[in-house]
Amino acid sequence: MEEKVLEILEEYCEEAIDYDGDNMMEEGVIDSFTVINVVSELEDAFDIEIDAKYVVAENFRNKEAIIELVRQLVEACEK
Amino acid sequence: MQLISTNFVILWVISFALYYLVPAKRQWMVLAVASGVFYIAGTGGIPVGIVLTGVGAYGCGIYLARSLEAQKKALSGMSDKERKKTVKQGFERRRRRVQILYFVYSLGILLCTKYMVVILPLLQKLGMTTSASDTFFARVVMPLGISFYTLTAIGYVVDVGREQCAAQENPVRLFLFLAYFPAITQGPFNRYAKLQEEFERAHVFDYGRMLFGVQRFVWGAFKKLVIADRINLFVGNVFGNAAQGLPGSTYALAVVLYMLQLYADFSGYMDMALGVSETFDIYLAENFKRPYFSKSVAEFWRRWHITLGTWFKDYVMFSFVMSGTGRKIGKAAKKKMPRMGKHVTGIIGTMLVWLLTGMWHGRTVSYLLWGVYYGAIMCVSLVLESQYSIWKEKLHIREGKVYGFFRMARTWAIVFTADVLIRSESLSQAGQIYRALLADFRLKEGILSVTDYGLSRYGFLLLVAACLLWLSVSVWEEKGKDVRRMLADSPMAVRWCCYYGVVLLLLVTGIYGGSYDTAAFLYQSF
Repeated sequence: MEEKVLEILEEYCEEAIDYDGDNMMEEGVIDSFTVINVVSELEDAFDIEIDAKYVVAENFRNKEAIIELVRQLVEACEK
Repeated sequence: MQLISTNFVILWVISFALYYLVPAKRQWMVLAVASGVFYIAGTGGIPVGIVLTGVGAYGCGIYLARSLEAQKKALSGMSDKERKKTVKQGFERRRRRVQILYFVYSLGILLCTKYMVVILPLLQKLGMTTSASDTFFARVVMPLGISFYTLTAIGYVVDVGREQCAAQENPVRLFLFLAYFPAITQGPFNRYAKLQEEFERAHVFDYGRMLFGVQRFVWGAFKKLVIADRINLFVGNVFGNAAQGLPGSTYALAVVLYMLQLYADFSGYMDMALGVSETFDIYLAENFKRPYFSKSVAEFWRRWHITLGTWFKDYVMFSFVMSGTGRKIGKAAKKKMPRMGKHVTGIIGTMLVWLLTGMWHGRTVSYLLWGVYYGAIMCVSLVLESQYSIWKEKLHIREGKVYGFFRMARTWAIVFTADVLIRSESLSQAGQIYRALLADFRLKEGILSVTDYGLSRYGFLLLVAACLLWLSVSVWEEKGKDVRRMLADSPMAVRWCCYYGVVLLLLVTGIYGGSYDTAAFLYQSF
């Protein structure tokens, strides 16, 4: 799963892969346009629905946070 | 009540003293009372719109919280997956309906109050009003800071629905969040969860913090009175005399100065609001991060009025894109246009946000065009982003100081073009100014007549000196330095020379009206 998320991130925002801070959205590493594309790709890839309430700076602060978000949503779907 | 006024300083001092005298668990009450006093004194009437919006937000928040609770209870004993899904969707649907009802209700109040200035003269023309009804509308229907208040209330309702915060059970505490007095007139937009945490902490008096807060307030007043209001003398005269066909160079200078005026005025207010709040040990969100150092328009808007941008992004753009309609449009677009389709919902979301931003700032067509202009630039630059690196390589452009400066200058040019639109008194005046800038520049004439528009040679020199001081502080901050900390750590003589210098400059060279009142803040009218 992790690899797939990183693959999507690499396609839309290479900088996010190398970023090691914890405020990717506010620092402008990932803009809202890219967030929308990444969310759409993640939804298709993992057959999940990412609601607007999850699209917050906290869940997009770095690649680890995005992976964690996807993990949680996939688990919630399986339950 | 203006932030730079004797009444405000009295309110600040009294509430500050009481705040640190009362027990920690009562401190929020002092702020609530101060906010009420500020509000009533500022409005001079009954804030009916504010009360209705606040009561609605309170009721809606409570309903959403109860519904979420009931949903959890209903789902806890269920094992059938399909049944669970249906029950959950039922709860979600009801909550969405209530939220939509609240949005219509609060935005209806906002539109009625905001557009009353357009509607009222029409009714007066038709003879449908009386002097009593005019007084009623002027006092009751024009509440202070209604735009900020409404968007903050909507944000609160959405956050409760998204379970990002718990609903507030105490209506007075909710009023404090919505109408916290340093932020009520121009923001910043606060998030309930964050600000509530600040209000609930125990706050202990700290001399250093008080000093930092006062320093920031004085610095904000310096930007407003010495820079923004001085520039206003020149800009007001140039745009007021535009019918005479002034040289393009005079307009160019006026627009550049207006760019600085708007920034000094609004960021000055923010410094004052955040400084006042800091003295209460309440930290508000930063609204500016030196926007004129931006290398693109997108970056500019990430640094200018940050909290408004974040509000629209979180509550409008993402809500739309991730809604059922947004998803349907996105999927259909991807099917029809495999390469470009992925951008469609982002483009619609961006344009929607910018149209609303334009409407939020003003009631005229100029503001709508201003929103469309920025929205279009954002969309084009984001869609073409992947092409930039290819073009850069082909043109042998290397990242460096020169290219960085070029990008900054390009951003200034884009903002300059937009500011002509919003500062001009009409669309035809804006057209006349664009024409003069392109085809009737008359540089020499512009230079020779520069002191004819309300600012003397001494005024310009003073303005340049003040701007250089501001620029130095901004450059330090841009390099990551904490200027207030640097000042606090410097020798006492240097420190106090700086304090006295700025205060003296403020008192001697600030632009004051009668009784030391100041010109209204520009953003107050948005």
